[in-house]
Amino acid sequence: MNLSLLERLTTICGTSGNEQAVRDFIISKLPSDCEKTVDNMGNLIVTKKGKATPKNKVMICAHMDEVGFIVTSITDDGYLKFTTVGGIVPSAVFGRRVTFGEFTGIIAERPVHMVKGDDKDKQPQIDELVIDIGVTSKKEAEELVSLGDYCYFENDFFLFGEDRLHAKALDDRLGCMMMIEMLNAEPEYDLTCVFTVQEEIGTRGAGCAAFTVNPGFAIVLESTTACDISGSDDENKVCCFGEGAVVSFMDRSTIYDRELYKLAFKTAEEIGVKCQTKTKVAGGNDSGAIHKAAGGIRTTAISVPTRYLHTASCVVDLADVKATEKLAAAMYKKLCEL
Amino acid sequence: MDITEVLKELCSAAGVSGAENKACVVALKHLRKFADNATMDKFGNVTAFIGDRSNGKKTLMLEAHIDEIGFIVSYIDDKGFIKVGECGGTDRRLYAAQTVTVHGECPVRGVIATLPPHVNSDTKKAMKAEDIVIDTGYTKEALGKLVSLGDRVTIDSRFVTLKGTRVSGRATDDRSGVAAVLYALSLLQGKETDYNIAVLFASQEETGSRGAKIGAFNLDADFCLATDVSFAYTPGCKKEKCGEMGKGAMIGVSPVLDREVTEKLKKIAAEKEIPVQFEIMGGETGTDADEISTAKNGVRTGLLSIPQKYMHTPVEVVDTGDIKAVGELMAQFAMGGAL
Repeated sequence: MNLSLLERLTTICGTSGNEQAVRDFIISKLPSDCEKTVDNMGNLIVTKKGKATPKNKVMICAHMDEVGFIVTSITDDGYLKFTTVGGIVPSAVFGRRVTFGEFTGIIAERPVHMVKGDDKDKQPQIDELVIDIGVTSKKEAEELVSLGDYCYFENDFFLFGEDRLHAKALDDRLGCMMMIEMLNAEPEYDLTCVFTVQEEIGTRGAGCAAFTVNPGFAIVLESTTACDISGSDDENKVCCFGEGAVVSFMDRSTIYDRELYKLAFKTAEEIGVKCQTKTKVAGGNDSGAIHKAAGGIRTTAISVPTRYLHTASCVVDLADVKATEKLAAAMYKKLCEL
Repeated sequence: MDITEVLKELCSAAGVSGAENKACVVALKHLRKFADNATMDKFGNVTAFIGDRSNGKKTLMLEAHIDEIGFIVSYIDDKGFIKVGECGGTDRRLYAAQTVTVHGECPVRGVIATLPPHVNSDTKKAMKAEDIVIDTGYTKEALGKLVSLGDRVTIDSRFVTLKGTRVSGRATDDRSGVAAVLYALSLLQGKETDYNIAVLFASQEETGSRGAKIGAFNLDADFCLATDVSFAYTPGCKKEKCGEMGKGAMIGVSPVLDREVTEKLKKIAAEKEIPVQFEIMGGETGTDADEISTAKNGVRTGLLSIPQKYMHTPVEVVDTGDIKAVGELMAQFAMGGAL
């Protein structure tokens, strides 16, 4: 785990279809003895020679994109209308600052004092909100913003509590950080890491990358929903902080390879790291595209439990990040030899 | 005086109702540049008096409130999650996933827990204050050493400058008013005034104008110009119920306000070409002016409001040009002949 690298990775902005800045930064952090290819979609495919050639070709994968916002129109008095890129609940948007890089915007609506009656219980939806950048006319706004421009949650990267980390875009820059670290080490076996695009708008990049790489096995490194908050009963917690890496049996995109699922738990036990499963069939990730690609690829997803996903306030427990890293490295070796 | 810089400093200090201390310290630091006797009372009011009670001049009090909305820790559950009550009218629609600071033995950061879209199907309903649970990342035991019931909580927010002369941040309601009063004092420095000047930065406005009632009694003023924020038009609001941001001070007109003071404000604004607009109310104003005007045997009070967007959110927006207009109008009133 490399926190300064993670801080840089989470601060850079790159939503689906606009991963350029993230990709450029990742390339700058890779050693010169890697082979780097950017495919037609924008996926970054990196290979590095290991000490030995593996029995099976294994692809490790994490996505570069994060959820964000796209400007859809400008009102006569200079407010920006927008929609989300990826799934963001309206309550996580209202009252937030967003960054356009050079300047800041405010997402809001009428003040609470002017909300009357039944409306008080209603959460304003995305199409009822505006972004205020401080200008007073459409003309002024148009000098700064073009339709289709992206903006992002501001990043507030800080450690708090007992080894907790808060930042935006931990989903999935955590996975990106882990792969950068693996590529900078001396791998035992030849290593293929894929930094994918457009995961948040329908796992659109990973399938193309998997087609190109055509591996025997794939490991997806992700962050997944932890709902172990006050008031959640056990079955709705999905996964819990402090219980280690998360290995899923099924989510909304994939029924995972049963043998690999069991192998992950066995491996975790062997190397002495904590491992848990998701207790709810929810969410999805690049596995959904990968396991169906290139005639079928046996896939496992290893995730970091993350609270408040798809908000400006993603939170992880650093012990779980370490467990996920260790399990990913051990599973990679196991699959190379399987 | 650089209004933006002073406002930034004021807004960076926490001061939830009844626990205004940190904000008071910043306000005192600036106020002492104009009044050596500036002090803080037991109720969290910051006060000062410039002049001499025996010179025969009447006393004009310049007032703004120093407190801000927030939460108060009411319970810590077995897992270490914090439950809270509201101090003032917070905006339920923005609680989810906000980062907060609990002002305990030391500042403790946390996040208001929420469920993500993958598992939360009801995204159309606003959260309630009683649904708030704050995740500080500590166990109950560890948290117990840092946080006590009754500690205050603020939503974190960075003070930012927007395009033009606009700024955004937490607590610009009513630190903007504090900045306007300080700006007025800076304009009056070394000038002859027609009144003794009293200053009140009042506590506990957001929970019912309690500090103003106490402060106004103690300062014993004849006149008062109170300043608070009011609504600036934003999409979704009724235009007739709002002021316009960037169009100057909003002169309050209401039965609870002194009509002669109000007329004088209008006259001075016209003479000195200070931008103003009007806010007409049929009764109480919802500001400290309501309590001040009935303090002691009555204080003849005028109200100057600063148009603000997104009131009671961590991203409130004000225009520093409007703060300047309020400060100028206060200063000109103090020099514009005694009533």
